[in-house]
Amino acid sequence: MSPIPVILDCDPGVDDAIAFLLAKQLPQLNVLAITSVAGNVSLEHTNYNALGLLEFLDWDIPVYRGAAGPVFRKRVEAAEVHGSNGMAGYDLPHARSEVEGVNAWDAIHQYALEQQGALEIIAIGPLTNLALAFLKFPDLPQLIKRIVIMGGSSDAGNATPAAEFNIYADPEAADIVFCSGVPVHMCGLDMTMKALMTPDELNQVAALGSKQAVFFRDVVQDIVRFMSRLGITGINMHDPAAVLYAADDSIFTAYPAGIRVETKGTITQGKTVTDLFSDAKWQKNGFVAMDIDREAFVEKVFELMSKY
Amino acid sequence: MTSKIPIILDGDPGHDDAIAWMLAKASAWLEILACTSVSGNQSIEKTSYNARRVMTLLGIDAPFAMGREEPLHGEPIHAGNIHGETGLDGPALPDPTIEAEPINAVELMAKTIAASDKPVTIVATGPLTNVGALLILYPELKPKIAHISIMGGGLAHGNWTPAAEFNILVDPEAADVVFKSGLQLTMAGLDVTLKALVFPEDFERIRALGNPIAVVVAEWLDFFYTFHRSIGYAGAPVHDAVAVAALIKPEILTARDYYVQVETSGDFCRGATVADHYGFSQQPPNTHALVDIDREAFIDLLAEAAAWYGKESE
Repeated sequence: MSPIPVILDCDPGVDDAIAFLLAKQLPQLNVLAITSVAGNVSLEHTNYNALGLLEFLDWDIPVYRGAAGPVFRKRVEAAEVHGSNGMAGYDLPHARSEVEGVNAWDAIHQYALEQQGALEIIAIGPLTNLALAFLKFPDLPQLIKRIVIMGGSSDAGNATPAAEFNIYADPEAADIVFCSGVPVHMCGLDMTMKALMTPDELNQVAALGSKQAVFFRDVVQDIVRFMSRLGITGINMHDPAAVLYAADDSIFTAYPAGIRVETKGTITQGKTVTDLFSDAKWQKNGFVAMDIDREAFVEKVFELMSKY
Repeated sequence: MTSKIPIILDGDPGHDDAIAWMLAKASAWLEILACTSVSGNQSIEKTSYNARRVMTLLGIDAPFAMGREEPLHGEPIHAGNIHGETGLDGPALPDPTIEAEPINAVELMAKTIAASDKPVTIVATGPLTNVGALLILYPELKPKIAHISIMGGGLAHGNWTPAAEFNILVDPEAADVVFKSGLQLTMAGLDVTLKALVFPEDFERIRALGNPIAVVVAEWLDFFYTFHRSIGYAGAPVHDAVAVAALIKPEILTARDYYVQVETSGDFCRGATVADHYGFSQQPPNTHALVDIDREAFIDLLAEAAAWYGKESE
């Protein structure tokens, strides 16, 4: 089977960085381009980090600059998790720069046209770029085969008790994407909170010896410390799990669901509401990943990281 | 019998309310001080009539008062598709011999709590309209409320809408008052009540007890299951009885303490009970949330309660 043509839409971001490390080595994916978006930190940082990660990985694909903030609201960020520059203080200098004069949503449409319906999007940040693309190009839903997102939760949140960060950061954009007509596969906290790597496993990755493997362990250490304060030992591999899902969903359990985003509640803005367990049913517009074979996931990470 | 827990039963009978009241009356641990009706499963006229019929059937000899038709804010919602036209369709029931007090439910609650020597526990198995109003109108009685055991909400999801469980959806503002009250609160939400399934073979076990009340309970279950079977349930979820089981047999339940808030607005989330599952908000827990139940032990509890009525009449 020929690899899936994908665009990786992201806000690097520590776990985005790990997602890059894996995505480059996944034979099932042909990553055509990166689109950056404001999210974990500002667009200046996420775009810079995306370029720096590509340089670090010697990965020659274009970066398109995306949205600097949500479609309708003020920007929120998660610098307390990812560090003030989004990369836990790591500076990733680079000579390359983003593609001049083409923004993320125009690029998404252009690639979608070129791929003639085969393009998939892996979106691991707020969904602003995709929402703008759908708003601008009415033909886009017919041109995109599938969207895999890291975001949301059928149950509890992390940005607030109700909402997961990527959806909370731009709830209207997320709802536009869920209502686009393109099937959305939601890799949310239900699954990603189970995609845990322990400190021991991180050390084992580093022991593979490559500079990428050592970076893998070291860049997540601040988050490991952050999580330990919440009683979680290790790091939840939110974004990497979504990338692996896009490549091969065989180690995941996902269910078809109706999914919408609350944009108006007092305490629930940014909550992804699913009809999975309710008596009331909605039209199915996607899938919710609920579980992951953690052991198989960790094994997959080792396999991919040993390719460096 | 001074060790008994004094309780007020506040509900919208409703098949599962009626079974909850059956369980409460049969328990040696509970003393029913009063019953009050609330609008929910059906209109207040119907739930009040049903409450009086159920009290008569079960021999609950306590004062009763009616609640109001409207929630504290907004329009009423009823569940006639589940509980039938009367709100308690199925077996024929005796005409009520219990009359409603000439005061409303909230006043009866207040009067009962004020007159009780011991702090009172409220078992609320319908929308929280009466309990919310009580806390707003009689805040001075809060020290005399020992515990509120509610059937309502869902930490993870709803039933009437994807986000909201019926009892909370009907009156989210009242629920918000209750969850913010600071009182000891036990929540029998969908997380546990959808595991409290009574299977058809359990109906037969209860029916075979043979006493008139056991037979009525089996027929309530027959009716209640008809709707639930049509939407794929393996048994009848006797939601409300879990709120009573939490008082008389807590050891068959698993609970976790959470900080829970009620969403009162929103396009999709009005009536959602939002728990801070991962603890990111750093707020202290306000809710003892039931999350699992020993189903077999729960069935035994219901069957033993139904059997008690046979011994009672001997």
